[in-house]
Amino acid sequence: MVDFPQSTRRNAIDTIAPESALRVRWRRSTELTAKILSNPATVLGFAIIVAMFFMAIFAPWITTANTPDPYQMPRDWGATRMPPGTPGYPLGTTNEGGDVYYGIVWGTRMSLQLSITVVGITLVVGSIIGSLAGFIGGKLDEVLMRIVDVFLSIPELIFALAIAAILGPSFGNIMFALAVVFWVKYARIMRARVIQIKNSDYIDAARIIGDSKLNIYFRDILPNSFTPVMVQATLDMGNVVLIAATLSFIGLGEAGIAEWGVLVSEGQAGIASGRWWASTFPGLMIFLWALAFNLVGDGLRDALDPRTESSR
Amino acid sequence: MNVQADFGTDPSGKGADDIVLAVRNLKKHFPIRDGVFQRVVGHVKAVDGVSFNIRRGETVGLVGESGCGKSTLGRCVSGLSDPTSGGVYFGISADDCARVDDHQSTGAALPSSEIADIEARHRIDLLQGDAQRRFRRNCQMVFQDSFASLNPRHLVVDIVGRPLRVYKEASGAELTERVVSLLEMVGLGRHHLYRYPHQFSGGQRQRISIARALALDPELIVLDEPTSALDVSVQAQILNLLNDLQRDNNLAYLFITHDLAVVQHMADRLVAMYLGRVSETGETKTVFDDPQHPYTLALMAAKPDLTDEDGAKLQALEGNIPDPARPPQGCRFHTRCPVATPICGWEIDDVVRWLEESPGMFDTLAGVERMSAFDASLRFSDTGSAERLAGALRSPAMPAAMQRAMEELSIDGASVRIRFQAVDEVQLTDRGFDHNVACVLDPSKD
Amino acid sequence: MLDMIKRKSGTANSSATIASVKDLTVHFQSKKGKVHAVDRVSFEIYDGETLGLVGETGCGKSVTGRSFLQLLPIPPGILAQGTVNFHPHARCASCTGEGCAECEHTGRCPVPCPSCEGSGCSRCDDSGAETVELLRLPDRDIREIRGDRIAMIFQDPGKALNPTLTIGDQISEVFFQHRTDDLLEASGFDAADREFGAGALKRLASQRNGGIDNLLLSIPPLRGRRDRILKALSEMVAEALAQTHIPNPQQVMDRYPHELSGGMRQRVMIAQALACNPDLLIADEPTTALDVTVQARILDLISDLQQRRQTSVLYISHDLSLVRRICDRVAVMYAGRIVEIGRTDQVFKNPCHPYTRGLLQAVPTAARKRGELMAIKGTVPELVDPAPSCRFIGRCQYEQSACRMQDPALHPVADEHSVSCFIHHPAPAGDAPGFDKRTS
Repeated sequence: MVDFPQSTRRNAIDTIAPESALRVRWRRSTELTAKILSNPATVLGFAIIVAMFFMAIFAPWITTANTPDPYQMPRDWGATRMPPGTPGYPLGTTNEGGDVYYGIVWGTRMSLQLSITVVGITLVVGSIIGSLAGFIGGKLDEVLMRIVDVFLSIPELIFALAIAAILGPSFGNIMFALAVVFWVKYARIMRARVIQIKNSDYIDAARIIGDSKLNIYFRDILPNSFTPVMVQATLDMGNVVLIAATLSFIGLGEAGIAEWGVLVSEGQAGIASGRWWASTFPGLMIFLWALAFNLVGDGLRDALDPRTESSR
Repeated sequence: MNVQADFGTDPSGKGADDIVLAVRNLKKHFPIRDGVFQRVVGHVKAVDGVSFNIRRGETVGLVGESGCGKSTLGRCVSGLSDPTSGGVYFGISADDCARVDDHQSTGAALPSSEIADIEARHRIDLLQGDAQRRFRRNCQMVFQDSFASLNPRHLVVDIVGRPLRVYKEASGAELTERVVSLLEMVGLGRHHLYRYPHQFSGGQRQRISIARALALDPELIVLDEPTSALDVSVQAQILNLLNDLQRDNNLAYLFITHDLAVVQHMADRLVAMYLGRVSETGETKTVFDDPQHPYTLALMAAKPDLTDEDGAKLQALEGNIPDPARPPQGCRFHTRCPVATPICGWEIDDVVRWLEESPGMFDTLAGVERMSAFDASLRFSDTGSAERLAGALRSPAMPAAMQRAMEELSIDGASVRIRFQAVDEVQLTDRGFDHNVACVLDPSKD
Repeated sequence: MLDMIKRKSGTANSSATIASVKDLTVHFQSKKGKVHAVDRVSFEIYDGETLGLVGETGCGKSVTGRSFLQLLPIPPGILAQGTVNFHPHARCASCTGEGCAECEHTGRCPVPCPSCEGSGCSRCDDSGAETVELLRLPDRDIREIRGDRIAMIFQDPGKALNPTLTIGDQISEVFFQHRTDDLLEASGFDAADREFGAGALKRLASQRNGGIDNLLLSIPPLRGRRDRILKALSEMVAEALAQTHIPNPQQVMDRYPHELSGGMRQRVMIAQALACNPDLLIADEPTTALDVTVQARILDLISDLQQRRQTSVLYISHDLSLVRRICDRVAVMYAGRIVEIGRTDQVFKNPCHPYTRGLLQAVPTAARKRGELMAIKGTVPELVDPAPSCRFIGRCQYEQSACRMQDPALHPVADEHSVSCFIHHPAPAGDAPGFDKRTS
């Protein structure tokens, strides 16, 4: 690759007065954010996510919460199967008189809970296991990676399906199933990155200084390994909801709750009769959610690409 | 093992006692694994018995081409890798060093308690606790790739101040001030404190590396090709800087490089390596004025120099570097040496290598029965091939020295029996004035 | 005819030019603005000579070399202006490339310009020889030239060779691309033939064969022809490898790049480059990644092949001592400009530009005392919208006000030696610098 001349801040670096470490780090993160947001597709994704976020937070204010459990779809037997545009039911009602609009809003809350919990747990567990396997190596690495191999040889959907089926249809069980299936991905990513970094000169430099392995792990290995994991986590925020919706759709979801997948499943019988709204609107939300996180994830990946990082 | 040479003890007597680091018979072998069960089938002998001293305040240049083991040696010396055998001794006095040498030359099976005590106190892979910390503080390293040796997420102040933090020498504002003074020592400034490595040029990054290495005021810095990736003018700046720092801080350097011009300029003494062993060592001036090892001569002839006369031709060295897993017998250089003699270690592998390179011959080789490295029977699939080989071995195509080394060459049907004169591994011999050469040819004895 | 062409172009040496670069300017678009990577660079490469292009990182030498074959990525690269005129030779008709007295054993003969029959006109830039402007040549035409008339070898042979192809396959590609007719002829088959299977064979010989062609060619009557083509190909590849003194070419042909050492890989790359007997070889730091002893052998090889075939070489390097050994003329580049150009012995004996002097004094030799290497102070300037002053200000020991006000151009100081510095030719305004007037 030809060393194309870059205009650098080299000359400026020799004359600008010093600042504090904090200001410099802050400036770097704002630069990074600006870089991420320079892509219009990413901005669109962000916008959708922010909108959904607000929808989820303000759910009790933009709808009337159902009692006793707001996560249960309200049933109004007097207003079943109403089309969108009916007064009081802007997006229509389901077979059981549930407000589709209500389902969408509270479904956002459920999706947020689902994705944050699952991704949060799997990210932490997978990363710790993967980074330890990579850093310590040897027998631990062998054992852990064989376990990971076993997990990875089962297709995600089938695996989650099996677990949820065994445990019984419930939202909590779906979350558990997904957590069990998804952690291995992070373990592999993290391990690969840690192994790559472990052989870098700056790790050798830290060892030569005499720093302890623990310190090296936290100060050198971890900070340089989490970018690919972050990208994967963002993409998974979308994937998790997709798979959860699929599981609900085939009947493993809890009946009657305000969750997009369940709504799609319950409303699909009516499509043949022309009642498209009970499935379509929740389906649209699933699509938008997954799209938004994919856009942001891709944008993150492009912005955080190590190649562009080092050649700045 | 017969230790004939002096490993850099200064005959003039000044500073002779001040050995910072002593390397004795260092070997580093890497296992080669093959097969389904990953069994060890051989070893890459990256470093195969190297000894030398580094005295306080001097620069020892370690020269060689790629594959000679100098980088591996550098890593062993700095403690990054543990040696397979042999030792690196830190802070050892000349007397203790002499005791270790004597002990090794007498070849006693078990070390006496005195020797064991010296080893425990000085061998870097055996050090514990405070002694280990003392070694770590006094031996630092600067790497070739200035970008890869600095954590891209750390600021300069973190990078250079880290050694101080690890040994709890300073913190907070005091740390920052010490870092500033270190940066100023290497030609950078306060305004570089809060910057990331990627914002600097290659030369500046190397200065940051050097500042980090100086943080704990070490006695020895190992420099692994520090200027190979830099432009000529930047290299000049860095070499000048290294020289100034050495003078001001009485630093010892182990300067690893493949560039003869740089080593001639920077090093007081040099150690030239070939395929894991030392081929020539001595004071730089002596070696350059009177190179005696054929490999050293070849290196100098191949290297273009600005001060050469116009029209001087580069002389290329034939052959390829042999496989480090099966280094040649006797003198490792005999396969490429233009002046090889019959006692340079001609062996069966030389014949096999020749067969590999001749079109068609290697395919007809059915098997080799070795009695030793020098004595074997090569079985071919037909008598014609056997006769061809025997004929080739007697023809002028083969080096005359190799033919004279052949004690027996006979054909038995489709097999060829060859026996060469068995020789030991060539040792370093003293040529006077601390100049040691691992070659059987000695011009002073002619 | 040949004499006429030789007389027309070139300098007092009356040697013909193989390529001439005029005002080549390449910019790169970056966040901070336009980086002037190469700025109005002009030089000529004479037929049969080795011209060294020397400079440090970022001086623009690689960009210059790559522009010959349109190998620069066009966004972010911008070809601002300039022309590169190339005078391709044709295969010698009397010996079909083997070498004879007519072509002075090179196998190639110069081609007279079609529009003026060798007398000189605007189309051929007054040289009388066939001229091709390389920078704006359409894609199809530049592909004909690449590998055939102009070849390039790169710094890292490990990266320049395809790891999934054997050596034989890689070199075959050159022949498929440029020697289709020869391959067909070798199989006893005429390019104009219209027999059954002609199309398939033609496509095979130019590596455009598809699945159906392969099927067709496995039928006995055509299979024999196909095998003859492949055998001819194999012989051509072996010959190309043997030219570079690779031992046992047949064995090497079946190997993959990772099975060879660095020196061997570089030989393979040279074999591939010289396979079609090009007129110009551009070598971009070919030995930087190699050991000294291997480097010496590769240089021997290049110079040997160059002498035998009279190939012109543009040798790009940062290593001054190397360039001194193998180049006839040398051009020193700094910050996108040529600051000094001339015959090697002259430039090294009598360096005129302060940068050249600084570089020569910075190389560590036994002669210099330790710690006293001449280091040029400062760093390479930012090349974004540079000011109209000499690019070397801030680092030059002899800087004066004239240097800060205008930008010097190349002027001859001796026969075949030009420098761009106000020390050697008068400045339009301001105090002129001089070697006796050190300012820092």
